[in-house]
Amino acid sequence: MNESSVAGRHSVAGRHSAAGRHRVLTVAAHEYRAAVRNRLLVLLAGILIVVTATSVYIGSAGYAGQLADYNTYRDAATASGLDRIAPSPLAPLSLLQGAMEYLEIIGAVIAIALGYLSVSRERANRTLALLRSRPLTGGEHALGSLLGAMAVFATLIAATAITAVLGVGIIGNDWINGSQSLQLFLAYSAALIYMSSFYALGAIATARTTIATNGLMIALGIWLIVVLVLPQIGDTLDADNQIPGGLFGALGLGHDGEVTILTHFTTYERIRTWTEELSLAKHFERFAFAMTDVKARYRPFDLPWLLNTTRNDIGWLLGYAALLTVGIRRTYRTQPPTTQGANQ
Amino acid sequence: MITTIAGHELRLLVRQRTFLAMLGVLGVMTALAGVLGWSSHRTIVQVYDQAVILLASQGKPAPPNPFTLKPSLSLLSNMVVYIPLIGALLALIVGHHALADDQTGGVGRLVFSRPLDRRIYVAGKVAAATAVLGAVMVASFAISAAALLIVNRRIGTGDLSRLAGFFIVSWLYLVVFALIGMVAVIINRRNSLGLLTATGAWLVITFIVPQFTSGLTPSASLNPTTAPASTSQAFFRATARVRPYSIAEQYKEASAHILATSQSTESVWHTALRISPIVGAVLVLTIALVVLIDRHDYSRSATNE
Repeated sequence: MNESSVAGRHSVAGRHSAAGRHRVLTVAAHEYRAAVRNRLLVLLAGILIVVTATSVYIGSAGYAGQLADYNTYRDAATASGLDRIAPSPLAPLSLLQGAMEYLEIIGAVIAIALGYLSVSRERANRTLALLRSRPLTGGEHALGSLLGAMAVFATLIAATAITAVLGVGIIGNDWINGSQSLQLFLAYSAALIYMSSFYALGAIATARTTIATNGLMIALGIWLIVVLVLPQIGDTLDADNQIPGGLFGALGLGHDGEVTILTHFTTYERIRTWTEELSLAKHFERFAFAMTDVKARYRPFDLPWLLNTTRNDIGWLLGYAALLTVGIRRTYRTQPPTTQGANQ
Repeated sequence: MITTIAGHELRLLVRQRTFLAMLGVLGVMTALAGVLGWSSHRTIVQVYDQAVILLASQGKPAPPNPFTLKPSLSLLSNMVVYIPLIGALLALIVGHHALADDQTGGVGRLVFSRPLDRRIYVAGKVAAATAVLGAVMVASFAISAAALLIVNRRIGTGDLSRLAGFFIVSWLYLVVFALIGMVAVIINRRNSLGLLTATGAWLVITFIVPQFTSGLTPSASLNPTTAPASTSQAFFRATARVRPYSIAEQYKEASAHILATSQSTESVWHTALRISPIVGAVLVLTIALVVLIDRHDYSRSATNE
């Protein structure tokens, strides 16, 4: 084989790959435009931004006063020449707890709705067969749709993030610094992966059912179990949550006593942990809460330590996302171009 | 005629297995609430035994029995969470199916070519949905009573009446969502958008309104009982006035008082007042449904699909 034929083959392969990229980006742009034009999705996104702003406002209103108290103490301590000044117990990022929880619940519903609408739109408009008459493979269609959806989610997440950061800065009177911005960026990146996973779930469930509405119901059912039921069961099974005010407190036991007694409940605690492990939402929540200082125990530590501690959650998040991406590619490849139930 | 329409709808729900799915899902969730209650009971016994041993080794007296702190019906407190989450979503689907099929299949166009009063049509559809939800609640009541009997080894008439009261209020709450499912189908041209609109309404009622009126984060809304935010903030001083109309919060509060799992006590009259916005929502939605169906153009919707 001479050099010119090898170069020729590389050139043909390069042209194919560029054309493939172009097709994927065209589908992605179509997905983005269709989502932005859908009034229901815009309404749901508007609701998400309003509740994010409200939750940050509620948290920040009291925070400004606490920050002012700490600053007064610090100034007085500095003026009196004290060497050791207690660090601030306040964490501005923790004010975003509600914002993260809304992404976890409403963000997932928006993602499922987008996945569902993406498939049902092409069916109802009878454009799926038309799309397949073009040189567009099922894999490219899936990848383009997923990328378009990720662009929609990135826009939505950026809007909520700007709302949240401005809320904390203006109402809470505390602007986040560089390292906090990086932590917030990682938390919102996890939100993007999380929402994309639910998009894939909505699209897979819809594409695999003859009646699209049934697919939506199946996806919402899985959402209900993963986002609401499994974490709630895990919380309910927590030994200390058995009695209002805490079981160990009611028995007059301190933290040491609690730790001693829990050594007799290792199997029970393992079952409880496994129940929570099954939930994609719980992994997103744990990672996002660690990044946004919601749990006080994480606050003293730096980013590498936090990433190491939450590596299990990162692994589960990426694992679920990879599995669902493979699932959507496979579903789109095998999806028949003409389906019954197009009107649903 | 009402019974004919209701009977037809019931047969459809049974044939489409929607009824069976709803019965199965809520039955399993009720049983799960019982299993979690049993697990809670067992954990308390074991933790108490271990605490007695530990405190005795430290020369301290035995702690008070924690069961005195736990109400007898508390093992079903998870149902107060499952009904607004799972039950309400299933009720939306029942309501959705009740009207959606008539639009897409052209049945509505055929039915209204006959001299049929549309109010009778609405009454038949609503009767079928409420009957299905009632049957599911009766099954959940039976499973809950069995779970109480197994875990507590006895069940008094007082507990049974409280349990019955809770499931009647739950049934009423689910009817609200079945009606929302029906209204959402009528106001949307596509069935799929109808289902999504109804889901959006459920999200607003279950998670967003409690955030505004009581400062409850979504995770707090998943707890059977959560104290609302203090009204010291100007925001909540304004929004707390709407709290009595937040049906998700009032349902949870009323249920906690009916099951006697609430940490506070109130008169029966106050609990009845909490239920009144749920009754009001049923009435308003029923009237809205009658008006919407009366004005609905079934020939147009059938072709648009």
